[in-house]
Formats: sequence, C-alpha cells, structure tokens
Amino acid sequence: MNGLIPYLIIAPLLGAFALPIVGLAGRKARGAWAIFITGITLGVAAGLFKEVWESGEILVYTLGAKSPLGNGVPFPIRIVWEVDLLGALFALMVAFITFVAVLYSSEYMKHDTGLEKYYALVLVLEVGMLGIAVTGDLFNFYVFLEIMSIASYALVAFRNDTWEGIEAGIKYMFVGSLASSFILLGIVLLYGQYGTLTMAYLAKMIAENPTFTAKVALGLLAGGLLFKSGAVPVHMWLADAHPAAPSSISAMLSGLVIKIGGTYALARLAFSVFSAGISTRTVGWIIIFFACVTLIVGNAMAVIQTDMKRLFAFSSVGQIGYILLGIGIGLAAYGSDVGQVALAGAIYHTVNHAIMKALLFLVAGAVIHGLGTKNLNELSGIARKMPVTSFAFLVGAAAIIGLPPLNGFASKWLIYESSALFNPFLAAVAVIGTAFCTAAYIRVLFTFFGRPSERVMNASEPGKAMLVPMLILVAAIIVMGLFPWAISDKVMLPAAKTLENIGAYVSAVLGGA
Amino acid sequence: MNVLYATLGFLGIYAYVSFASLLWGGIDRKLVARMQRRMGPPLLQPFYDFLKLVGKESIIPRDANRFFELAPVLALATSIALLAYTPLGFEPIFGTKGDVILFIYLLTLIGFLRVVGAVSSGSPYAQIGAQREMVILVSREGPMMLALFTILWRLNELGVTKPFSMGTFYEHNVWELGTPMSIIGAVVLLLVFMAWLASEIEVGYFDIPEAETELAEGTMAEYSGRHLALFELASAIKAFVSASLVVAIFFPWGISGYIGLTGLPAVVMDLLFHTLKVFGVLFVSMSLFRAVTGRLRINQAVTLFWTRMLPAAIVGALLLAIDTLGVVV
Repeated sequence: MNGLIPYLIIAPLLGAFALPIVGLAGRKARGAWAIFITGITLGVAAGLFKEVWESGEILVYTLGAKSPLGNGVPFPIRIVWEVDLLGALFALMVAFITFVAVLYSSEYMKHDTGLEKYYALVLVLEVGMLGIAVTGDLFNFYVFLEIMSIASYALVAFRNDTWEGIEAGIKYMFVGSLASSFILLGIVLLYGQYGTLTMAYLAKMIAENPTFTAKVALGLLAGGLLFKSGAVPVHMWLADAHPAAPSSISAMLSGLVIKIGGTYALARLAFSVFSAGISTRTVGWIIIFFACVTLIVGNAMAVIQTDMKRLFAFSSVGQIGYILLGIGIGLAAYGSDVGQVALAGAIYHTVNHAIMKALLFLVAGAVIHGLGTKNLNELSGIARKMPVTSFAFLVGAAAIIGLPPLNGFASKWLIYESSALFNPFLAAVAVIGTAFCTAAYIRVLFTFFGRPSERVMNASEPGKAMLVPMLILVAAIIVMGLFPWAISDKVMLPAAKTLENIGAYVSAVLGGA
Repeated sequence: MNVLYATLGFLGIYAYVSFASLLWGGIDRKLVARMQRRMGPPLLQPFYDFLKLVGKESIIPRDANRFFELAPVLALATSIALLAYTPLGFEPIFGTKGDVILFIYLLTLIGFLRVVGAVSSGSPYAQIGAQREMVILVSREGPMMLALFTILWRLNELGVTKPFSMGTFYEHNVWELGTPMSIIGAVVLLLVFMAWLASEIEVGYFDIPEAETELAEGTMAEYSGRHLALFELASAIKAFVSASLVVAIFFPWGISGYIGLTGLPAVVMDLLFHTLKVFGVLFVSMSLFRAVTGRLRINQAVTLFWTRMLPAAIVGALLLAIDTLGVVV
C-alpha cells in the first residue's frame, strides 16, 4: 500500500493554490483553511508513518506508471517517491510542527496584513519539506529544496516594513541561492557522469563505478547542504534570518527547514546514494570536523547574545552540531553498533530538537507579542506576569539542555555515549558544547524569573490560540521524555538501520534488477 | 506487590531520614555550643523550629512570581526522590546500573531549585546569594564527580553486578584494592570528599550563599513560614544524603553480618549503624569545621575549589588509575 504518499503533497499544494480563492471569503476563512489543510496533512503523515512503521517496508510510489522501470529496460525512467521509516518519521515531524505553527499564527499574525500570502507561503514551505522527505529522485529533490528555500526567503522577509526583515531576507536569499546552485551543479555532474537521476539507481551505478566526478559532486552537494543546515563556517545567515522572521516562521525554520533541507538531505545522500562507492570513513570525519566546530561556536555564541531570538538561533546552530556529530560518527563507524547508535541519536535529536526549538521560538513570539521587545536586558521578571509562558520556556530550556525527565536527555545521551565509545575527544567536545548551552539558557532563565522591570508590569499572557500550541509542544516534550528508551528502540534504531541498509533502498526501486 | 513493598519501604526511609537528619541538626547545635562553652539548645530543637515555622504565616513578596512558592515544594520533592537512590547501609531501593548520574543530578538540582526560588523572590539580597550559590555549585561539583567516577570505574574492574550504581559500594570498596598507591589515592580523595561535603552543606569556609552576617541569609532572605520550613527540611535531608555518599564510598562496612542477623532486622541494624557513621562524618565535616573556621570570601572559595580541590581530585584519580597498570607495586 503506497496510496497515501501522493496525498502528502497534494493536500498542502491544493491548500496553497486554493488560498487566494478561499481568501476572498475573509480573514477568518484564510486562517481556518490553513489550519484545516495542515490538520489533514498531519493526518496523512501520521497514517503514512503508522503504515511504514508497522510493515517495516520501504514504500515506493512511481509518478505516472505502475513500475518505475521503463518499457523493456532494466533502469528507472520515472520520478519515484521512496518512503522508508526515516522519511516517514520526518514527514510526520514536519506535518506536526507546521500544524502547531499555523495554529499559533492565527493569533500571532493578527496584526499583519497580506495574510493570504503568508498562509500560502507556509503551505508551500510545507510542500517543499514533505517533498524532500519522500522523494527518491535527485532532481525532484532539488526542486523541492528550491520550493522550500524560496518560500523561506519570502517568509523571512515577510514583515517588509521592518529593516531587519529585509536585510535578513536579502542575506539569506543571496547566499542561499549560491548554496542551491552548488547543489544543482553537483546534480549536473552526477547526471553527466552516470546518466540517471534516480537515487536508488544512482547508488548502484556509483557502487559499480566510483569516479572522481562522483567525489566532486558529493563535495558540492555536501557544501550546499551544510550551508542549508547552518553548519559553522556558513551559519551567519541563520543568526539573522531567525530573529527577523515572524516567530511562527522561526519555529518552522529552526525546527524543520535546517534539518529537512540540511542534515536529513545530507544523511540521505551520504548513506543511500554515496556510501557504497566512497570511503565512508573519510566523509564521516569531514562531517565530524564541521560538527565539532559547529557545536562549540554555536553554543558559545549563544552565551553572549542579548537578543532572545538570536540566542535561540545560535543555540539551533549548536544543536545542529550534535546532529551532524551523530551523522558523522554514523558514517565513520559505518556498519558497527557504535555507528548505528550514533545515527539513532542523531535522528532522535532531530525530532526532539524540532519540538523543543519550535516551543522556544513560540515562547519568544509570545514575549514579543506581549512586550514588543526581545532584548533580554529589558525582559527581567516576565514570570510574574506571564507564568504559563515562563513555564513553557522552563520546560523547553530544560529539555534542550538535556535534563533527565524530558526528551532531550535520551537523544543527547545516545550521542554522548556513541561519541565516547568512538573517540573520547569528541565526547569531550560535545560536553563542552552542552556546558555553554546550559550557561546560555540559565542566563535567560534568571532573566525570566528575576525582579520585574517596569516594562514587564504592563504585559499579560497571550490568548488561547497562542497558549494551546505551546502547551501541545510542552505535552509532547514531557510525554516523549517519559518513554525515551521505548521510542529509541522501537522507532529511532529501526530508522537508523533502514538508513544504513542501502541494499534495501536500492532494491525497493529496482526490484532486484 | 513488589512495587507496593518498594513504595512502603521508600516511605519508611523518608520518615526515618527526616527524623534522623533533623535530630542530627539538634546534636550538631548542641556539640558546637559545648565547644564554645555554652549550654546550647535541647536536642529536639530543630523539631520545635520546624513545627513553629509550619504554623507561622508565610509572607509572599510583592515582586515574587509563582516559582517562589513552587521552589521549596520541588526542592523537598527532589530530596525525597533522592532518598530512593541513596545508599543507606544497604543497596538503594530503586538502584539500577548507572544511577550515579541520577544521584548527582538530583543532588545538584536541589541547590539549583534554591537558586531559582531565591531569584524568583525579586529581592536583591536573595539575588546576590543566588549568584554566589550558582558560582559555588559550578565549582564544587567538578572535583566530586571526577573523584566519584574514578572510584566507581576502579571498582568496576573488580566485577560488579550493576556498574556505576550506588549499590557497587556494598560489593567492593576502595580500600579492598590494597596496593599502597590506591590507598594513598583513596586518602586524597577522602579529603576531597570531606571538603566537598562541607561546601555542599555550606558550613565553615563555605557558608557563603547564606552568609547571615553579611547578606542577611542570602538565598533564604525572603522565605518565611512553611516555605522556609520545607527548605530547611530539604537542606537537612540533603546534608544526610551527602554524608551518606561519603560513608558509602569510604566506610561501607555493615555489622549485621558479624552479629548474624538476616532479613529485616539486618536491614534495620545496618541502617542504624549507617546513621551512626553518617553522624560521625558530619561531626568532622560539619560541627568541627563550623566551630573552628570562619567564612571565606566568594573569590577565595572559588580559588580554593579550582586550585586546591580540583588538583587534589586529579592527583587522587591519577593515582588510582596508574595503579591499574601495575607498574608500581
């Protein structure tokens, strides 16, 4: 059964294109339509995840025909969508966070104009991210990546009456386009060399005939994708884009875009396409190097910020470091238990971080909504006037540091444990990163709980439409925190195993051909 | 049924430790008073204090937020949860492999909740106290963790059922290693632990965050009534638990085996004997230290942690580690 896959794309695409028409019915109809569509998408994604998880198979959907293979030829000629457990898990994550963010937008974006464009862009962003999660075709991947990127450029600069929105948008767009063109160049090289764009078939071809061109292509792809994920030498756009975007968008950017378009795509290409033809050890160590730099720089820069959203953005960079570390060790220790645990930790941390960073940005949005400032020096004592928001922040911050009863603990633990077994030096780097992260969040915590400043005394809690999404995420963090090892054994480890098992990925499309 | 028995035992332990730790408070005050040629309060004074505080009105400052009232409850809850993982003469009730990390986490969390409660009060005195407590919290846990992990790692090599758990100490102890080097290392680590204990319960040199004469009670400045009572009880339990850790690492021997007890009487006997050892350790690290030394400045204390305690912990850990190589007999 693979009938659900197309609806994952159809639903939000229909929603986005119907919005200009639905928008004619008035302001409320737009918000309701967007909530309805993202709700449907969440349902489809949950159904797909359940199916993949229960059957343990890799679902393949061919656009336009029953079989991906051409008439009488043994190679695929059509676009295929290929969903394994990892793709289904990330699709579910994307649909969930998007739903929560759209729910939140209904109140948060109340004072903005042009909301039919806003919701259309959000839905298009969702299409792009879901497409990346399900696609099994390299050029199709590039198209979805561009859909996602262009929607996020536009959303970062959505408040185009503010100087910082425009500035961040331009910065993000210029460097983002450059990164996209690296990715396109990599794809072009691969096509020129191997004459196919289907990932599964490409993997087979690369394994049979690993050429220098493939390595150059991998370099270009990895460079572009590290940019999209905000790894350190190319993280500067992120620290500007996240604070400038509306908070519901920051939640999606930080929780989803940098992971789906960055680390997920990197892991997918490195494992499913290239791992049979290249030295995984070398590629793994290159990623580990960037991961270590990202960990330290991202978390250390978070400590010295005075702008709350900028702090969260740098913390996102730091957390990407953990995910990259897990992927890097997964590659460098390919095929061993250590590598598998590291990869499971990276996948787990991706999901966890999506939830907690979305929560933190929604909290930041509530604070900005209530006070009109995100300068930490002016925010002292918010807990007195906004107790629920402060509680949500407390949970999010504790989860991101990785305190035991919450979900961040288990995923970080898997990464610490595997990196300590792989190379103790890497574990030390990870712990130093966490120490910086703790310092950054405790500083914000003390600001929240301190003596109320005059400005704060006029603030009040946001309305239900903003509180409920935050509480949904808080509940998700706590519930996931109560069953960490069950989730890790039943979902994350199998997902890591399917990612490592390229044979299954290839034969799902080629059917053993 | 097993869970039920464990819960009952847990409640029993909680009741016992609350009693014993408050009783130790009375003994401590009496002893310090005698050292200064005073009569001192009656032995049960902490119980009267506790009851009186519970009966008093608790005043919430105008600038305080919700966490001000929540922090004492959470601190006490954490210290009660900690009891489930504390070695009290027998293996902890809910002990599993790796529970040492949970133990350290909960122990640190109590201190952190005090800090958050103090910050939430909105009082500048409490805030200064909180900053000091935070600085000390960060400085003191490093040496302790290094020492504790080294010892557990070393004992692990002797073969234990649950590696890195608090129950390890009742299977093997650090003196059993027997080599001269390990004994020197263990003595160095014992000194580190005694200093850590003194700073954990904030006496003598380390009475810095509360600093009665200087900061007007510091972290606890704004607390009154039952909230203060909860904090006092949590602190007393924490002192008992911290001392229990030191006792379990360095003096884990029970006496029930020698006098031929088994079953429940053996557990009770071991618990009583453990309490006696805890009182002994606390006498040295708390009463004597408190009576003999004055308070340090915060920068002096931090220097002490990083330039005396941490190097001592490193030396002790290295001695224990080098010992495994067998190069020095």
